Amino acid sequence: MLPDATRVKSLLSHFDGVEVETTTLGVVARVAAADVPSALGTLKASDLDFVMLVDLLGADTGEEIEITYHLRSFSRDEELFVKTRLPYDGVLISVWNSFASALLPERETAELFGLTLAGHPNPKRLLTIEGEAPLLRKSVAIRTLEEVRDR
Amino acid sequence: MTGPLAIIVPVLAAIGLMLLNGVVLIYMLRKVLGHLHLRIGPAHVGPKGMLQTVADVLKLLSKEDVRPAGVDRWLYVLAPIFVFAPSLMAYAAIPFSETLRITRLETGLLYTFAVLSLVPLGMIMAGWASANKWSLIGAMRAAAQQIAYEVPLLLSVLPVVMIVGSLDLADIVAFQTGMWWGLVPRWFILLLLPSFVLFLIAALCELNQTPFDMSEAESELVAGFATEYSSMRFGLIFLAEFSNSFVMSALAVTVFFGGWTLPFVPESLTAPIAPIIFVAKTYIGIFFLMWVRGTLPRVRIDQLMNLGWKWLIPAGLAWLMIVGFVVKLAAPGGVV
Amino acid sequence: MTPDPRDTVLDHGLLAEGTFEPGEAPAGIRRAPTGIDQLATEHLIVNVGPQHPSTHGVLRIVAELDGEEIVNAEAAVGYLHRGIEKLGEHRRYHQLATLMDRGDYVSGIHGELAAALAVERLMEIEVPRKAQWLRCLMSELNRIASHMVWYGTFGLDIGAMGQFLYAMRDREAILDILEEVTGQRMMFNYVRPGGVLEDLPAGTEEKIRAFLRTIDGYLDEHDALLGGNEIFLKRVRGVGTIDRETALSFGLTGANLRASGVPYDVRRDQPYAAYDELEFDVPVGATGDAHDRYLVRMEEMRQAVRMIRQCVDGMPEGEVMAKVPKVLRPPAGEIYACVESSRGELGVHLVSDGSDTPERFHYRGPSLFAMQVLEEIMPGTLFADGMMLIGSVDVVLGEIDR
Repeated sequence: MLPDATRVKSLLSHFDGVEVETTTLGVVARVAAADVPSALGTLKASDLDFVMLVDLLGADTGEEIEITYHLRSFSRDEELFVKTRLPYDGVLISVWNSFASALLPERETAELFGLTLAGHPNPKRLLTIEGEAPLLRKSVAIRTLEEVRDR
Repeated sequence: MTGPLAIIVPVLAAIGLMLLNGVVLIYMLRKVLGHLHLRIGPAHVGPKGMLQTVADVLKLLSKEDVRPAGVDRWLYVLAPIFVFAPSLMAYAAIPFSETLRITRLETGLLYTFAVLSLVPLGMIMAGWASANKWSLIGAMRAAAQQIAYEVPLLLSVLPVVMIVGSLDLADIVAFQTGMWWGLVPRWFILLLLPSFVLFLIAALCELNQTPFDMSEAESELVAGFATEYSSMRFGLIFLAEFSNSFVMSALAVTVFFGGWTLPFVPESLTAPIAPIIFVAKTYIGIFFLMWVRGTLPRVRIDQLMNLGWKWLIPAGLAWLMIVGFVVKLAAPGGVV
Repeated sequence: MTPDPRDTVLDHGLLAEGTFEPGEAPAGIRRAPTGIDQLATEHLIVNVGPQHPSTHGVLRIVAELDGEEIVNAEAAVGYLHRGIEKLGEHRRYHQLATLMDRGDYVSGIHGELAAALAVERLMEIEVPRKAQWLRCLMSELNRIASHMVWYGTFGLDIGAMGQFLYAMRDREAILDILEEVTGQRMMFNYVRPGGVLEDLPAGTEEKIRAFLRTIDGYLDEHDALLGGNEIFLKRVRGVGTIDRETALSFGLTGANLRASGVPYDVRRDQPYAAYDELEFDVPVGATGDAHDRYLVRMEEMRQAVRMIRQCVDGMPEGEVMAKVPKVLRPPAGEIYACVESSRGELGVHLVSDGSDTPERFHYRGPSLFAMQVLEEIMPGTLFADGMMLIGSVDVVLGEIDR
C-alpha cells in the first residue's frame, strides 16, 4: 500500500531539498545524500512506523549513482522508497545505526559502484577481491560474445 | 604349543581377527546404515558389494602418505599406532569360550578397561601433532569426554564384580550360566538393569559413537582429530574405531548377556559352538550401535559433560551403594 | 619499548606479577589475559568454510573461539559471485528467468516468478487465470522440495543422518513432477512474463495426486524422526533466539521473521498469482529460537500441501500464456515485485529505460539478510550451536553472492 505522500513530505520537511513523488515504483522521497541517515531515523521513529529496511540498492544513471532505500511498515502495511544521488567518487554514509539490515548491502553497493563507505563498522569488500573494477557501473563493460570467442 | 610360538600365535590370531572384523564391520555398517536410510549401500563390487571394503583397503594402502607441512613429525607418525595398539591389546582378555581366548587374566575386566582408556592418548597426540585447529579441538573434546565417562563406565560394572567376587571375565560368565527356577536366565542384565543402562551410555561415549561422537563431529570439526590423516594412517585410526566397538560389545555380552552361553539350551549342545554364539551376540550388540548411529542426532559438549558428571556418576555411586547393601545383607552371615 | 610481558608468561608458563597493558595484538590472534591469575589464554580463530561439511555451499564464517564458545563471528561471502545483476543488464526480459534460477537454485520457480511479475507489472500484462493457478501449484511444490533440503541438512548439522535421506525421498518425488512439467529438475525456466511455458502434461495430475496421498504420512514421519527426538529438542530449544526487534532491524523475512512473531507473508499481505483465491494459514512462532524456526517451516510444508490440493482440485481451464510480443520492451520506469520464496521475501527491482534490456536489475535475496543475523546471534553460543544456527536460518549461497 502507498503511504500518504504529503505526510511523508511534512515529516521530512526540515531537510533541505526533499521531494516526494508517486511513480510506478510507489511513493519515492528524494533526500540529499548527507541527510539520509537522519531522514531514515526520522521515518523509523515516526508514527508511520517504517521499522524494516527491506532492500538497499544502487543504480548507475549515467551521470551519478542513485541509491534506493526500500522501507516497510508492518503496522500500517505501507512501503516507501527513499532515494539519494551520489557522485561517482561519492561517500555512502552508513545507515546501520537505524537499520542493521543495511550492513552487508551497503558493503556490496559501495564495492560494486566504487563508492567510499563511511560510518560503517566493517567497511570491507564483500563479494569481489581487492583491485576488481566497480562492476555495476555502466562504464565497466562485460565481455561481448565476440570477445568471449576470441579469448 | 610351547615357547615363543605360544606367544606369537595368539597375537597373530588377534591381529587377524581384528583385521577380519574391520573388513566385515565396515561392510556391515554400510549395509545397515544404507537400509536404515532407504538406500542399499554398496552393491557393485563383488556379490552384493561384499568386496567393496577390500577394494577400499587396497585403495587406502596404495594412497600417497601425505604428511602436511608443519606437523610434529614423530608424534604425527606415532599417533595412529597409539590409537591402534590399545585396541589390539584389548582382545587379550576376551573369552570367546571356556577355552578359546588369548590369555586368562585374573583381572581381565580391569585390564580391558585400562587398555581401552589409553586410546584417547593417541587421539590427543594426533590432534596436537596435526597442527590443525579442528584436530586440536577434537583432541581436547576427546580428553574431556574420556575423563568424564571413564568413571561411570567402571562404576557400572562394579556391582557385577561385587556379586561375582572376581574380575576374571570367565568367572563372570560362569556365574551367569544356568537359570533361576529353570525359567529366567541368570544374566546380569535382568538382575542389574540400571547397571546396564549406565554401561550403555558410558560405552557409547567411550566409543565416540553417536550421539556422543564429540571428537570427530563431522558437521562441526570436519573429522576431528583425524582431519589431517590420510592413506593407511587414517586406515589404522578407522580400524581401531571398529575394533573398539567390537571389544566394547564383547564386554557387554560377557558381563551382561552371559558370554558364550545360551539359556534354555543344554550346555552339551552349546559347548561346541560357543565361540560362534559369542560372536553372534557381539554382532547383535554392534548392530545396535549402528542403529543408534543411523538415527540419533549429536548432543552438545556441555550437555555431554552435564550428563556425565551430574547424572551418571551420582547415579552410578547410588546404585553401587544399593547393590552393596543388598549383597552384604544376603551374604552368608548377613542379616538375611 | 618494554617487551610485551605476555610472551614471557606463555614461554615459561609463569604467572605474571602486577598488571600490564595489552600491547599491539599480533595479526589474527587476540591474546587476552583472562581470570584472576592473569594466566594468558589465546582465542582461537577458525575458518569455518568455504569448504566445510556444514556451511551449505561456500559460506565462510570466521569464528573466534574461546574454548568451545564463539566470541565473535564474521560471515565472509563472495565465493559464488557470478555477477547476475550485471548480466541481467545485458539480457532481454525473457532471459531473466534463466538468471533467477541460478540465484536461489534450490527454489527456482520463486525467482522466475518474481522476475516475471516485475515485467508484467511494468508492462501491465494481464496473465490468464490458468497460468496464475499453475504458478501457485509449481511454487508450492517447489517450496516443499526446498524445505525438504533445509530439513535434511538441518538434521545433518545437528549430527543426525537418517532424516536427510528420508527428506531426499520426498524431494525426489517432487523433482520428478517438476521435471515432467518443466523439463528440468532445478533450472526450470518455466515461469515467463505473461504466463507459464506449458500446461501440465497428461498424467502429471495423477502423479501429483499420488504424491499428495503419501506426503501427509511422510510429514508426520519427519516430525517423529527428527522433531520428536529428545536430543534434537535439547539442542534447538532456546538457542539462537531472534527477538522481534532484532528480526525487523536485520531485515529478516519469511519463516525466520514469522518464527520471531511477525505474521508477515507476502502471499497473504501482497497477494500475487492466485494466492488471493487459495486458503492457507500463516504459522507464527512465539520466541524466535531455532525450534520455532523449525516448527514454522514444518507447518509451512503442511500449508503448501493444503494449497497444492486446492490447486489440483480447482485448476481452471484456459490459456497458459497471454499474448505478449516476442521482444519485451517495457515502458521506462521502475518497479519492485516480490514473492514469498522458500527462504523469505524474494524481490526483483527493475529499472527500465524502454529498451529491450533492463537498465538496472537488482535481486533482493532473503538469504543475504538471514546470513547477516548470524553475526548477531552466533557470539555467545557454543561452537556446535553455531553450526546448527547456520542451518536454522536456511541460507542458499547462490542467492547471497548472486
